Amino acid sequence: MLEVSTIRRTLRIGWRYLLIGAVVSLLLTCELLFLGKKPGSAFDATFPLEIPLFAVLGSTGGLMTFTSDRMKGVFEYLLAYRVRPRNLFINGLLATAAMTGIFLVVALSVGVGLALDRGVSLTQSFWEALAYYTIPMSFAGALVTITVGMIWAAVSTPRTGINSPVGIAPIIGVGPTILVLLAAETAPSSDYYFITGGASLALILAAVAMLALSARLMSRERFLSNL
Amino acid sequence: MVRDLSSGYRGKKVLDGISFTIDEPAIYVVLGPNGAGKTTLFRTLAGVLEPYAGSIEIDGTDSRGSLANPPLQYLSHIDGFPDGLKVDEGLRFYSKVQGVSERDVERVVHLLGLEELRYKFFTELSQGQRKRVSIARIFLQERGIYLLDEPTSNLDPKLAREIRDLVLNLSKNDLVLYSSHNLFEAKEIGKYVLALKNGRVGYFGLLSDLRPKKYVIGVRATGAEGALSASAKKGDYYLQELAGPEEVPKLVQELTAKGVLIREIKEMENPLEDLFA
Repeated sequence: MLEVSTIRRTLRIGWRYLLIGAVVSLLLTCELLFLGKKPGSAFDATFPLEIPLFAVLGSTGGLMTFTSDRMKGVFEYLLAYRVRPRNLFINGLLATAAMTGIFLVVALSVGVGLALDRGVSLTQSFWEALAYYTIPMSFAGALVTITVGMIWAAVSTPRTGINSPVGIAPIIGVGPTILVLLAAETAPSSDYYFITGGASLALILAAVAMLALSARLMSRERFLSNL
Repeated sequence: MVRDLSSGYRGKKVLDGISFTIDEPAIYVVLGPNGAGKTTLFRTLAGVLEPYAGSIEIDGTDSRGSLANPPLQYLSHIDGFPDGLKVDEGLRFYSKVQGVSERDVERVVHLLGLEELRYKFFTELSQGQRKRVSIARIFLQERGIYLLDEPTSNLDPKLAREIRDLVLNLSKNDLVLYSSHNLFEAKEIGKYVLALKNGRVGYFGLLSDLRPKKYVIGVRATGAEGALSASAKKGDYYLQELAGPEEVPKLVQELTAKGVLIREIKEMENPLEDLFA
């Protein structure tokens, strides 16, 4: 119940980020499909790589909801009604995953739809890249962002603005996406998707494990609005 | 029953081994200067903070243990209203968290007179309106124990009175812990006083057992210039120090005999003030 409500509220709080992420990725898609000397020629190779970067931006609403709930004292009431700290983290994760899912549906369907409409031929490696890098890495990047952001928000003095977890975590969240890509580029081509897919899965598991550990170790006072 | 309870933040004790037992449904006013530990006490009793030591027993059961959903309602001094929701949606959110039906939301909307506010965003409301909505949450479900941290702060006198009446009604069958900085309000509604001082219990007992060090009344009257000393005057009130309330009728009689027209007599000292000394 609380999960559904958190996802709904996240959509309401974070729709602007979702929109900005989708619009910017769409602009780049248009750039790939309509501009340049050979429009559409770079789409097959570039499109799958850019999407995870914008997924982190588009899913920021999850972290915004978490920090807002802490600052507004919502967590104080939820704890009084015996909602466990673990569930507060899980709600943040699920809300972020939901936002990422919505972003991916929009960005991929519009991007691929436009490409097919323009007659761009999509190779097998394009579909493999979507399956083994774009989709898992979008979720992994977004979940790493929310994990870092939630833990950071919980252990620091509550604050908002660009110099706060909400402002900085999305920038940090882009890091793993690029690192995984770089690691895959330097590996033999046969290992490319093994590395990207495996790293995405490992990042998702690491994020979940970090949150589980944090929920166990973190005292309840970390969820209060004024310390 | 609260026994040897210590609690605080970041390992630093704010409450230091306090103990008290409550077994009568009534309003227990929690008083104390800033930093005395009132909010920490409420948070610890509500289960929001984990105590460093000691125990809290409700009906003989440790409230941290088997009570998955303890029979208490908690009102923090913070609104705690989820961002991006309208009043109606926020109340429904908390009705689900508390596991009560939507019919209870309707009841509470009428009880607190929130009809005009229910479809507004919480952020559009004034401070007083926010407080009223925040208070509505505790009436969603009857729970037997109410922990109310400054429920009437930021409210206009009329609304504060309405809230006090609702709380007084609750206290007929339920146990209410009520913190306030308004000593006159505390004196008006409280039956018991729990005064905290430096994280310890400074006084716990019946409010009626508290006596001010001095019993001073103010007399507002016309034609009192000769009968009452003008040197001890505070505003329109002539101050009179008496041995106790039992001397008031005698004073009234004397003043009336001297032709003084008494318009009002009131106590000028609040025994609760001494708890802050």
